[in-house]
Amino acid sequence: MQFQFTPDQQDLIQATHEMLLAETPIARLRALSQGADGTDISDQLAAMGLPSLLLPEAQGGLAQDFVVMAAIAESAGYVNLPEDLVEQAGLVLPRLVALQQEDLLRDALAGKVKVGLVSALRPYLEARSYDYFIVDDRLVPAAEIATTPVKTIDPLRNLVKPDVAAATLLAIEDQGAVLAAAQLLGLARRMIDMAVDYAKEREQFGQKIGQFQAVKHLLASVYTQIEFTRPLIWLAAQTGGAHVNNAKISAIDTAMQASETAIQIFGGMGYTFEVDLHLFMKRAWALCGVWGDRSYHMHRLETLILDGSMEIGPGISFR
Amino acid sequence: MDIRYTPEQDQFRAEVREWLHANVPRERLPSLDTAAGFDLHRQWEKKLHAGNWGTVNWPVAYGGRGCDLTQWLIFEEEYYRADAPLRVSQNGIFLLAPTVMEYGTEAQKQRFLPPMAAADEIWAQAWSEPQAGSDLAAIKSKAVRDGDSYVISGHKIWSSRAVFADWCFGLFRTDPDSQRHKGLSKILLPLDSKGLEIRPIAQLDGDPGFAELFFDEVRVPAENLLGPEHGGWGVAMATAGFERGLLLRSPARFQAAAQRLVALYKAHQDRLSSGVREHVLQAWRDTERFNAATYALVARVQSGVSVSSEASANKIFWSEMDKHMHRTAMSIMGAQAELEEGLDAIENGRWLDGYMFSLAGTIYAGTNEIQRNILAERVLGLPR
Repeated sequence: MQFQFTPDQQDLIQATHEMLLAETPIARLRALSQGADGTDISDQLAAMGLPSLLLPEAQGGLAQDFVVMAAIAESAGYVNLPEDLVEQAGLVLPRLVALQQEDLLRDALAGKVKVGLVSALRPYLEARSYDYFIVDDRLVPAAEIATTPVKTIDPLRNLVKPDVAAATLLAIEDQGAVLAAAQLLGLARRMIDMAVDYAKEREQFGQKIGQFQAVKHLLASVYTQIEFTRPLIWLAAQTGGAHVNNAKISAIDTAMQASETAIQIFGGMGYTFEVDLHLFMKRAWALCGVWGDRSYHMHRLETLILDGSMEIGPGISFR
Repeated sequence: MDIRYTPEQDQFRAEVREWLHANVPRERLPSLDTAAGFDLHRQWEKKLHAGNWGTVNWPVAYGGRGCDLTQWLIFEEEYYRADAPLRVSQNGIFLLAPTVMEYGTEAQKQRFLPPMAAADEIWAQAWSEPQAGSDLAAIKSKAVRDGDSYVISGHKIWSSRAVFADWCFGLFRTDPDSQRHKGLSKILLPLDSKGLEIRPIAQLDGDPGFAELFFDEVRVPAENLLGPEHGGWGVAMATAGFERGLLLRSPARFQAAAQRLVALYKAHQDRLSSGVREHVLQAWRDTERFNAATYALVARVQSGVSVSSEASANKIFWSEMDKHMHRTAMSIMGAQAELEEGLDAIENGRWLDGYMFSLAGTIYAGTNEIQRNILAERVLGLPR
């Protein structure tokens, strides 16, 4: 039983977090939100080997396990990374290995081709120049599938809707849910950090608003939820099953509580486009609904535990 | 990261399971907050100790089994899986003992730990005072040094099971000129000391589960000082860390309750609204979150990280989870919820007992409001 990262894993996670933070300052997000581009950091991500994090060593990958991927997804959420590193490294590229598309994998890693994943649970894709789509675990040339732009409130992303019905393999579905949960957790922590910083500066009634217990208790409540969601996400990343459903629901609830708490503490300024909070909040709203929304995962738990006979109780959580 | 038990851990679990299966009383014991129930729980502690299962995570030298914290969690899982009795020794073995091991002299360890493990001496806590509750540093009860003794005068309250217990660990002002956190000391004394009067307080369920202690010049040998004189606040906070944190409430207790809640739901689901389902699932979900977080915390503690202010998050989480879980059970039982025992009472009123007890959980060991202040100030860095 080692319910913690090895020192090597810890170093990799920490170095990645610092790099993502340094390369994605708020100024970059703000420029992107105003339509400025040219700040792509894909090369820096590739230089650290992050796209091939999960790939076997034979394919030049880092052969890390999925829990490390989840920890890095949390950091991607924390910085609100505009690049689609999490889905590419976590879902798409490993799928190319499973589909034995080694040439395509090599080209994708070299940035020569772009492969997108179509899923009913994540119906809108980032608008990119795709060459192929993975549909029902088959590889389809992008030209065969029409896409239509859809308009999101998130100023950092452009989305398209692929015109095809696609089921999703359970393995991908669960992994997608874990990675969405991890990003939500990172976003929650970032929104709380922003609110804490503001509460230390903003003065009313002659004192910092962070001195008021009413403000302290709001933030401490979200902090508690964050700390009791993270280990569950690690567990879900390693063992799957009902823990995945629990992790996604817990991350949704935590991120929504974090965003509503943060905007409350920012007060009127929180409701403006000028304050950066909304950039993180809108990404969180998006991630709540993909790879299974709250009802989807709740239905799964109902089926397993209330209407089914899944064994629960002490001593069997890690089976 | 490898979230799987080793074969040795599986083997340990099998040993625990086998012993508990053969030894756990078939009938639930009466409440440990009554004289008869307390005595039966003490007998159970003695049986556990005879099997060397009473204090598994203690060093062998002091009456333990020398297990690591992961094995302790496994023990707890089997303990609650077997629906074994509540631990009447808990204040001693889970709260005081780690403090004695950290701050006690070798002589104190030899004197106090073995009889605590054997349940020959059961411990109560003497911290709170009528005017020092959440504001514990407002303690006024004084211990005046007189030669080889302390002479204690004052008034303590909310001392769990002090009416039945043998010893107490108290926090007293040893420096009369001191203010607040400074000048306090932690002192151990027998509850049958001359000059100490114990008056029971009937708690919510009517049982004398806690007591007031009146000290009228109670003389205690100076060797019963635990840790540095006037340095009792630091010693007490170490105990509070154990109380809020790891040892007092292992996840297994709540996982077993969530399991029972799902069974309760299934037995009554025909007449329940669909809204109840999400609450029942939340009970299971929260216990699994608590379990994963506890294993992660144990891994960190075992690699040498000390737990401090973050224990406050632990206490907030388990106490609010417990209250929610029992509130859900109360709502499922409908008109039967108020029945204590006998005709129509579900599980002999066990959920009702549990609900009442859960109401105390957000109050004792420092109210959840105090815990939120601690998190906000010491972890998030908000200004005082």
